[in-house]
Amino acid sequence: MSGFSGLQPDPSMIGRIVRPPFAVLPEPAGLFSGRAERFAELAESSQLAPYLRFLSALSALQSRLAAALPPATPIPPEQVERARAGKMPPLDRKLLEKSAELREVIARFLDEAPTLDMPAQAAEGLEALRRAPAEILDEVIGNVLADSIPFEALSPHLFLSAAMQVHAARLASSLDPALLVPVETGLCPVCGGPPVASIVSGRLGTENVRYVGCAFCGTHWNEVRIKCLACGSTKGIGYKSAEGEEDASIKAETCDACRSWVKILYQNRNPSLECVADDVASLGLDLLMRETDYRRAGFSPFLIGY
Amino acid sequence: MNVELSRRSLLKVAGAGVAATSVTAMGFGEAEAAVAAHVRPFKLVNTTETRNTCTYCSVACGVILYSRGDVRKGEHAELLHVEGDADHPTNLGTLCPKGAALKDFVKSETRLRYPMLRRPGSDRFERISWDQALDRIARLMKDDRDANFIARNQAGVTVNRWTTTGMLAASATTNETAWTTFKVAKTLGIVGFDNQARV
Repeated sequence: MSGFSGLQPDPSMIGRIVRPPFAVLPEPAGLFSGRAERFAELAESSQLAPYLRFLSALSALQSRLAAALPPATPIPPEQVERARAGKMPPLDRKLLEKSAELREVIARFLDEAPTLDMPAQAAEGLEALRRAPAEILDEVIGNVLADSIPFEALSPHLFLSAAMQVHAARLASSLDPALLVPVETGLCPVCGGPPVASIVSGRLGTENVRYVGCAFCGTHWNEVRIKCLACGSTKGIGYKSAEGEEDASIKAETCDACRSWVKILYQNRNPSLECVADDVASLGLDLLMRETDYRRAGFSPFLIGY
Repeated sequence: MNVELSRRSLLKVAGAGVAATSVTAMGFGEAEAAVAAHVRPFKLVNTTETRNTCTYCSVACGVILYSRGDVRKGEHAELLHVEGDADHPTNLGTLCPKGAALKDFVKSETRLRYPMLRRPGSDRFERISWDQALDRIARLMKDDRDANFIARNQAGVTVNRWTTTGMLAASATTNETAWTTFKVAKTLGIVGFDNQARV
């Protein structure tokens, strides 16, 4: 949520209640470096430490890449206006598929990724992706853009998702948040992607307001609380956590209307929470929820199959 | 919107055929097993978050009530926490000191749970039934109204005022309840009256 950390003084904040902004756009390098730090911090006290350490290094690579790349060509204003008029996401994934800039980011990411410390299986997935001929790479890009990851090739898709997140965050950061409109419950107003998790904000000016994090472009957008992010129902919403931890800072928001669930992170209880990193680190909740008849509706390329 | 793991890919990775989760596919299966072993003894419990309206005054601020236990499944719900509803247009998540103390109000040992009566000359309250309470209120209202009702003022104009009894009605009500409350009070001629309908 690096978008909140502006240092500009704002006298209107003093003694006044401000309406929370609808969307908070990512600052790419900061988004990924913050995530890398959070992954590293979580790795210090987790059974999942090896995976978290790997993802920390991966996020650091994303951050370095985002910082080194020149600013992305912004999304054309007429495309933003057209999307706004039709209540569609301005980042058109179909156009992105053909983008030369995206291919360049992927190429640079794949050049640097082998330096990461990783198990043989992950290295094999990365190598398969690096060696993939153009038409296979096209297909993998298509899968990532469709948020439809085939289970027999999770590792190459994970690497490609990470590379594409960098470019998506760069494009999102070029937009004017004031021009964004809600697309639909649980869909990112920038890229139309599904949420990874939602955060009950603890930041000054947006206390207790819910923001939903996009797994693809890193945008956070405001959604009303106590509402299912998969179907929009406000009836039959429950919050599941392990027994004795009713004030847990991460819970499963369940919906009895569509029988799905999405993680909700209470940043007002723990200000360090970051939606992608803490989603992976709270794998235990996924394993507990897998025993129930609710289906996970939160999406993250780093946590598929639960 | 749910993501299905159904698509087949041209891209195959040897040895990854059985891996159905990102963690195992990346070669961190051991860590995943450790997490699974760690969480095995835990049971999930449900808490609910319910929107409501603060009962204190006629501003009618939105609140969120956190409770343990699922009433929908016949369980007893216990209030854990109360906070201002950040999505509510009236208060945008803020609460005054009275509203912020709502949990103590709910949990107070001296909270009124049933009708109580302190008889004239007595030094203590005693519990009575709702029937007794309503009969008594109706009787006293009728007697007071019969004795003090002002049908006409000094100039002979019909005013239908009942000034010796006042009414203070609830705030956490709908428009319709407020309307009905207002009609009941004004039909009787009550002048000293306040409720949600004033706002």
